[in-house]
Amino acid sequence: MRIVIAEDSAILREGLAQLLTLRGHEVVAAVVDATALVDAVAEHHPDVAVIDIRMPPTHTDEGLRAALRLRRADPTLGVLLFSQYVETSFVRELLADGSSGVGYLLKERVTDLDEFTSALDRVAAGGTALDPEVVTQLFGSRRDPGLATLTPREREVLALMAEGRTNAAIARTLVVTERAIEKHVANIFSKLGLSASDGDHRRVLSVLRYLDGRR
Amino acid sequence: MLALWARGGGVGETALVSLAPEFAQRVLREPLSRRAVREVGYLLLAGPLTVFGLVYAVASLAVGAALAVTALGIPLISWAVPGVRWFGSLRRRATNGLLGDDIPPPDPFRPPPGFLARVSAGLRDRTGWRTIGFLLLAVPLAFAGLYVVLVTWVWGLVAFTYPVAAAFGDGPPELFGWVITGGGSVFALWLIGLALLLVAPWAVHAFLLLDRQLVRSLLGGGPGAAERIRDLERSRAYAIEDVAATLRRIERDLHDGVQARMVALAMNLTMLNETLGPNTSDESRRMLTAALGHAKDGIAELRHMVGGIHPPALDAGLATALDTLAARSPIPVTVHGELPERPTEAIETIAYFSVAELLTNVTRHSGADHATVALAESDGKLVVTVTDNGHGGAGAGGSGTGLRGLTERVGTVDGRLAVDSPTGGPTVITVELPLHT
Repeated sequence: MRIVIAEDSAILREGLAQLLTLRGHEVVAAVVDATALVDAVAEHHPDVAVIDIRMPPTHTDEGLRAALRLRRADPTLGVLLFSQYVETSFVRELLADGSSGVGYLLKERVTDLDEFTSALDRVAAGGTALDPEVVTQLFGSRRDPGLATLTPREREVLALMAEGRTNAAIARTLVVTERAIEKHVANIFSKLGLSASDGDHRRVLSVLRYLDGRR
Repeated sequence: MLALWARGGGVGETALVSLAPEFAQRVLREPLSRRAVREVGYLLLAGPLTVFGLVYAVASLAVGAALAVTALGIPLISWAVPGVRWFGSLRRRATNGLLGDDIPPPDPFRPPPGFLARVSAGLRDRTGWRTIGFLLLAVPLAFAGLYVVLVTWVWGLVAFTYPVAAAFGDGPPELFGWVITGGGSVFALWLIGLALLLVAPWAVHAFLLLDRQLVRSLLGGGPGAAERIRDLERSRAYAIEDVAATLRRIERDLHDGVQARMVALAMNLTMLNETLGPNTSDESRRMLTAALGHAKDGIAELRHMVGGIHPPALDAGLATALDTLAARSPIPVTVHGELPERPTEAIETIAYFSVAELLTNVTRHSGADHATVALAESDGKLVVTVTDNGHGGAGAGGSGTGLRGLTERVGTVDGRLAVDSPTGGPTVITVELPLHT
């Protein structure tokens, strides 16, 4: 996979490049700010851009702005936001234009390299990868009595779904059969009054929209 | 001009009114105005007050001086000098209350502990001595003031009403032993009375300028007090902004420094884990896994800590930060409203943490299943309203202490917190903050 990294901290930029190279990915460019990122993407046409949210000059949300711009220019580009904290409002903004090929992960998630690379793969393939922390925050706000009727197992499955996983991946994580997961998913959808659909990211979106029914 | 009008009716009056109608109205109304009444009342009140004050001061100082040979004399004086302040305060408040001045109070008398220190501080109480000086000057001034009232108001009224008294009484009354008869003379007297009455309020007002100046310079806190308040306000604003800027800098430094290094450490450990040789011992693997776990926990703890110091979302604006805050709330919270301009950092931070605490209160105590946070600017103020549909009664009982703390925090920038929480709800809490410290 061809990857562009935008990260202003030198040690993290290099560390991330090393890690990805270690897993057989090609880091075609590693840049320090949003302007250089836009140029690098135009030059290299990567599969995925891994973007730090806080970058110079203002160190607020340059990365998010650049990601949204890049996505508008090329909707097939995978964008993975990479941050030291989770802001629900940023997640919402990121998902506002559709959720295919976007992700938002905490930086420390690189420590589970398998998880991290599978999230990258999902984003590159047009799926979604949301940090478990995002899901926890949204779950923390129990907005609907429907959620209260879920069994602990179903909640677990819903959380993994919201992170953007497929049924097969969830089955592997929970060490059960895919058939069992399908049953759980069907139960969740019926309890929440949602109709199941095929795509991974559409499941996430419907779950997110349901959890966070404000916009 | 007055004579012209006084001839009454006809052409003269019309001409005058058309020449300077506003001036004429002012002159005619002034004797009956509220200001004129208050100023006369002030003089009548200030006279006795000043005399009493001086009698007290002279008497206590005289007794103190007479007893100076004994151990009682000096302490007595040291008590008497600050005691005079009471009369000074009454006089100052009379001036402020009746004449609408804003003379600041002097610094209060705060004697240090200990008898000797108290005596020494009392003897050196500048405000007390200044008040005694004031009383000495103000007593003659008070008599002069009463004389002005007598000459203008009293004589004016007597002369003005003389024709009536002459017509209805038992013949013309005596005036300083004189009896004025004859239409021309009575009319002239009436004119003089009228003129005196019209001049009276201005004469009293002019005289009081002197009195007020004396009160301000000898009884007021002096220019120092107002200036000191301004200084304190400035330094408080600086301190508050400085704290906000410092917290933000700490957050940035942590983000770019410690947090980045912790993540880098975790990355390196991860890489180490990836590249372990096949004959690495299980113990080494266990230790590495434990190290990775510590690194991850450290990063997570640091992240939560930073959120309490300065929420990173605040950098993107108050609305964004509140949005994130609302998303984390256990009950649904709707955020609406935008600000046309960004408040200063300290204000944003105070607003953010206020809403955080109010939402926590809503969750814990209100029994509400929905809350709204509204953000608006009104009259150059930032107004944040948190409304919930709970059972009301906030501010009473246990949750009251939380609101009190919040009120004080908001008060550090002269903000206000208003609670409207009738039993049965809904609860509306409004936080009003200046846009800038």
